[in-house]
Amino acid sequence: MADKQASVFIIDVGTPMGDCHNGRVQSDLDYSLRYVWDKITTIVAASRKTWTVGVIGLRTDETRHIDSIQDEAGYENISILQEIGPMTMSSLKDLQAVIKPSNTETGDALSAIVVALQMLSTFTKKLKYTRRVYLITDGTAPIDADGMDQIVEKADEDGVEVIVLGVDFDDPEYGFKEEDKPTQKKHNEALLKDLVSRCKDAHFATIAEAIDEVDNPRIKTTRPYKTYDGLLTLGDPKDPKHPSPMSIHVERYFKTKLAAPPSASTVVVKSGQQTTQSQHLDGEEMEGIEGITNFAAVKQARNYKVDDPKAPGGKRDVEFDSLAKGYEYGRTAVHISESEWNITKLETTKSFSILGFVADDKYEPFLSMGESCMTVASKYDERSRLALSSLIHALYERSSYAVARIVLKDGKDPLLVLLAPCVDPDFECLYDVPLPFAEDVRSYQFPPLDRVVTVTGQTLTNHRLLPTDELSFAMSNYVDAMDLDTFGKNDNGQPAEYAPIDESFNPVIHRINQAVRDRALKSNGKIEPIPPTLVRYATPPEDLIAMSKREINSLIEAAEVKKVPPKAKSKRKRETVKPLSGLDVDALLDAQPKRPRLVTRDNAIPEFKQAVSSAMDMEHIQEASKQMGEVIRGLVTDSFGDSLYARALEAMSVMRTELIELDEPDIYNAFARDFKKRLLAGELGGDRREMWWKVRTSRLGLIDQTQSELSGVTSEEAQEVCETQSSCHCVRLASLPPFPSRSAMHLPLGQRMRKLTRPSVSQSKVAKSTRCNDFTVLLK
Amino acid sequence: MADRGEYKREGDEEPEEEVDESDYKTQKDAIILAIEVSDSMLEPPPASGSKKADKDSPVQAALKCAYQLMQQRIISSPKDMMGILFFGTEKSKFHDEDGRGGLGYPHCYVFIDLDVPAANDVKALKSLVEGADAYEHDDDDEYEFLKPAKERVQMANVFFCANQIFTTKAANFGSRRLFVITDNDDPHPSDKSAKSAAAVRAKDLYDLGVTIELFPITQGDGSFDLSKFYDDIVYRDTGGEGNLTEVRSSKSGDGLTLLNSLISNINSKQTPKRALFSNLPLELAPGLRISVKGYNVLHRQTPARNCYVWLDGENPQMAIGETTRMAEDTARTIDTSEIKKAYKFGGEYVYFSPEEQKVVKDFGSPIIRMIGFKSGASIPFWASVKKSTFLFPSEEDYVGSTRVFTALWQKLVKSRKVGIAWCIVRTNANPVLCAVVPSRESSGEDNGTPYLPAGLWLCRLPFADDLRDGPAGGCDSAPVCASDDLVDKMRVIVQQLQLPKGTYDPTRYPNPALQWHYKILQALALEEEVPGKPDDSTEPKYRAIGKRAGGYLQEWDERLREETKTVLGTRKFKRELEDDDDGVESKPAKRTKTASAKPSTSGMTDAELRFAVASGSHNKMVVAGLKDLLVSRGLSSAGKKADLIERLEEWAEESI
Repeated sequence: MADKQASVFIIDVGTPMGDCHNGRVQSDLDYSLRYVWDKITTIVAASRKTWTVGVIGLRTDETRHIDSIQDEAGYENISILQEIGPMTMSSLKDLQAVIKPSNTETGDALSAIVVALQMLSTFTKKLKYTRRVYLITDGTAPIDADGMDQIVEKADEDGVEVIVLGVDFDDPEYGFKEEDKPTQKKHNEALLKDLVSRCKDAHFATIAEAIDEVDNPRIKTTRPYKTYDGLLTLGDPKDPKHPSPMSIHVERYFKTKLAAPPSASTVVVKSGQQTTQSQHLDGEEMEGIEGITNFAAVKQARNYKVDDPKAPGGKRDVEFDSLAKGYEYGRTAVHISESEWNITKLETTKSFSILGFVADDKYEPFLSMGESCMTVASKYDERSRLALSSLIHALYERSSYAVARIVLKDGKDPLLVLLAPCVDPDFECLYDVPLPFAEDVRSYQFPPLDRVVTVTGQTLTNHRLLPTDELSFAMSNYVDAMDLDTFGKNDNGQPAEYAPIDESFNPVIHRINQAVRDRALKSNGKIEPIPPTLVRYATPPEDLIAMSKREINSLIEAAEVKKVPPKAKSKRKRETVKPLSGLDVDALLDAQPKRPRLVTRDNAIPEFKQAVSSAMDMEHIQEASKQMGEVIRGLVTDSFGDSLYARALEAMSVMRTELIELDEPDIYNAFARDFKKRLLAGELGGDRREMWWKVRTSRLGLIDQTQSELSGVTSEEAQEVCETQSSCHCVRLASLPPFPSRSAMHLPLGQRMRKLTRPSVSQSKVAKSTRCNDFTVLLK
Repeated sequence: MADRGEYKREGDEEPEEEVDESDYKTQKDAIILAIEVSDSMLEPPPASGSKKADKDSPVQAALKCAYQLMQQRIISSPKDMMGILFFGTEKSKFHDEDGRGGLGYPHCYVFIDLDVPAANDVKALKSLVEGADAYEHDDDDEYEFLKPAKERVQMANVFFCANQIFTTKAANFGSRRLFVITDNDDPHPSDKSAKSAAAVRAKDLYDLGVTIELFPITQGDGSFDLSKFYDDIVYRDTGGEGNLTEVRSSKSGDGLTLLNSLISNINSKQTPKRALFSNLPLELAPGLRISVKGYNVLHRQTPARNCYVWLDGENPQMAIGETTRMAEDTARTIDTSEIKKAYKFGGEYVYFSPEEQKVVKDFGSPIIRMIGFKSGASIPFWASVKKSTFLFPSEEDYVGSTRVFTALWQKLVKSRKVGIAWCIVRTNANPVLCAVVPSRESSGEDNGTPYLPAGLWLCRLPFADDLRDGPAGGCDSAPVCASDDLVDKMRVIVQQLQLPKGTYDPTRYPNPALQWHYKILQALALEEEVPGKPDDSTEPKYRAIGKRAGGYLQEWDERLREETKTVLGTRKFKRELEDDDDGVESKPAKRTKTASAKPSTSGMTDAELRFAVASGSHNKMVVAGLKDLLVSRGLSSAGKKADLIERLEEWAEESI
């Protein structure tokens, strides 16, 4: 909003504010400041020059405010801590430093309000501003009620909102009453309440209530955005013979628009500061600075390359200015000269026209393609207002929606929207949502849910994939029991919808805002947990669950759902490898003449898969893996530029997945280490660093313990091996993680193999270096 | 300010669309169409008198279908590959560069090699489709490759040929499919070893990750018996959905041409079924989880972004852009490792370490958790912010998921209810609230969306943060209500202008801007004449509207005129009264100037404002008042007073 704001906070910093009361462990001042900081940081976060803040300290040790009244009696111990002005991070830091409990016990709150009003009137003059004065006090210092009338008059005349927030003030509405209240405080509370009741726009509350508000997300309001302003037509108004009379002047506004969570910017530590800061700053402060100030924004620059077989690396840079604009048609580049650039654009003129009407019960919410808008008649055009009203009511009475084509501006692409009537006693409009075009609907085929069709074409209604009557019954009861339509409560305590849209807040937006504000105030503070209001709808309401216990249990019983243990997943897949006829192709394979090699380059992937799945012993798997490794290295060696990299990567990925499933991660890991070594040493046909980069980005590095229990590699190690920077990968090769001892590898595969335990650490340590050598030899 | 925000936000949403990071394979699709060439495939249907009768031979129909498919794929998935392979031909041809020539795969003819289609491929296919007459009479050498071989082709060779094409051209594509179009259900009737060899090669394809889709063609009353051969070739859908999708054969008849029947069968398999997320737990109740997959069945198709073309070489070439980052203060180039993420706050940056970032954004692991159920009617029409995701059960993580999912679906359909769910669909995805809405069985009578599959949909609900206020002061006065008579007149019009079947059927409305864009591009790429006028089926059918409702519209208009007059009359009267009241109330002196200017500006009608501008009194208005006037008319309120006045004058000129 383009509104201008000026707020003055009067903060009581008298000595008693430093004490703790009513069982709190925070001092009254710190407690109250939670509210103040929240307000102020919200303003800082907005970084708006027109949102201004002034701060006055009440009961400060010194007196320093407006010259003209500074020396008058009754105006002592009031200080302007910050003149009204925009808030920044640094002014926030300054304020934090000066707002501390003082050694003073007196100071007149009403005088402080006078100072605040004076500041406001000087700063805002007669301009359009939202003016506010916040008074935060514990009300323990004497207040002189003289001149209250003038204060009220001044506040009303200038249009200032006065907000009085008292520490432990009584508030029957909120339900708070302080026992054994000192007389002075009682007196002051009454006095301030009286002030508030006499002002036109003023509020009085106990600070606890205000602090409660802090945790409630506040929604950033955006000025209504008009997406279209023009005619809504039915029929052709430009028809030469019978022009259609229906053209209504309308305005269309956003109804919903996704609010984006604050996004983190990409920054970099400012150069030259890293080394100097520690010299002149001490511990805590340094961290503060580090967390906040010395970052520089990052800019992006684009440069363009084309393929050139003659250039090193097969690519060369081209000047941006020498490039023509164009589009891709398949893999053909079609360039279009600047003067003809609009040739592919459909010529359109701004319009909003109705195509026809549909029945509202044929529409389903999942058909909508995005954000909704609302259309109202132009405000000052009576004819249009009447005309639109008749359309809205006609649609409503006929239970119909309208399909319309809208072009927001001349030259914009047409969109189809569905218009629905909204008839409220005090508001009428047409809501609309965007509809899909023919190209936007993908024809995916899914089997029917409520029946099973067998291979022979029979339809079954009784099957493990279909619910039993018992399950359907239990589900029906459960769904009915968990009804939210009346589970919530409205303000009057009547049953109402639970989790209505206007009470559900985007958790991410408010979570990040909260964390950023906290961090701005305390740069080294811990991250606070997520406020419960943000995750209120993450789980079903507990009461409802408790009430529906019986339905839940019978549903679980009837469902008989079983979790598939993670291990079994891969094995299950293996069984199903048969064509529709169930023909045993593996048997056919065995019957074929033995091939000289297990894995050849031409048909590497199928052959490798078939070789390992039919492998009877460990040696067979090792042999297949060894040959697969050869194929992969061969592909890389023979690759012209990156022409064969994709094949090599695919082969690696198959090898990796298969070996994970066979519980032989170490075979792959040994291959990968050796492969990297050779790649970087240039043994595979020159500079192949790009290939390794692709291995990394395709996540084909070492198999770590999170991917296979039997891997001896931690994820940190796997990560490290992936880095290309290290010049000492040979050293690391020597500290290879343990693998199963060689003798174990000769054991026949099968049930017993899976039961094998890993060699103990000490054992493996001893044998490490020799084994490592063995393996490299094996893979050569 | 607000305006600029809108544009910026569009880009920010992108990360949400990311595909699962753990899936490293390129999410691209490669299709080889393998079309059998034989005497029966080349034979046109028996001539019949009817104009609409089928004239295409199966091969012709397949080629036309391929041509259409290729054009569609250039639009819908510009990065995907396609190739065309004829088998059973006299001639043989494999990759040009491969030394082996046609020797390895006799009677297999690679017509278009597997690649992203180029303009030349489209051209070649087009000329083949259009020159159809020529190759039917065996006199043209140009189409010699469409001559059937004298001996039978070995299906094993066909499969291995496809294997080699996929292996070399689309090595690590996420989806690779071989579409076999044939009318021969038994290619090796008496040759058992050829049959086994084919089965073995088919298994190779399966192991390679290639799916074989069969498009059988039957003629007359003939049938295509899968059990003779293809049951050994085709594998079960690896999706693990348990149910089989039937193999439908294409044929001419029932008013449908062979071409249409084939197109509809191939279209249903056109886009590979890519899951948006797989095996996501759906927590139906505490202690009851099933697993589901999500699909983007609806997806807004837009023209591909423009690119930069380098023209100085032999052939025009696409230039590939690369981004380098540099520090704003020193303009030095930055390594990725130096980059940090920080939030802007009050003009400065607030920094979180990557670990802290994780803590801030951690709302738990991916899940769809039902928190209860509401009636479908309780979800307002406007509660929409994004396209919805289709959910389908998967048995992979929880056995029994399908039956529980089905029970839920049936209950929701029957009781017209929707689930409300808290959803985190991927690791690190932002949590959102969704309505879980059932779609009905497509054959159902009252189903308004027969073109969408039956199952459950995740419809994202707006948060309070996503709601926008209506027009400023839109609710200041009670709405002007049309009389019952006027509404009745409009009702007749609404009734007269129902769309077919009273539903919106998207298949009737191709996106005109998208179609035009590619139509022009195609013409440019193929160096053809640029078409003159676009087809736009989204334009209202003015003639039909005029015919069916023209008279009613006139009646409505007459009535509207009368009512407008009455309303204006009473309005004027009222306003005078109000003005009088105002005058009495705001008598007390002093603040006269501003006080009288203020109320009148915000409530000024267009006519009054135009008058004010004409008389020059708008110069005396205060800035705040001018801004109100501008904002309420949808104009920008930025700038100095002189700018505002100028803008107002412009408005007055234009709005007359």
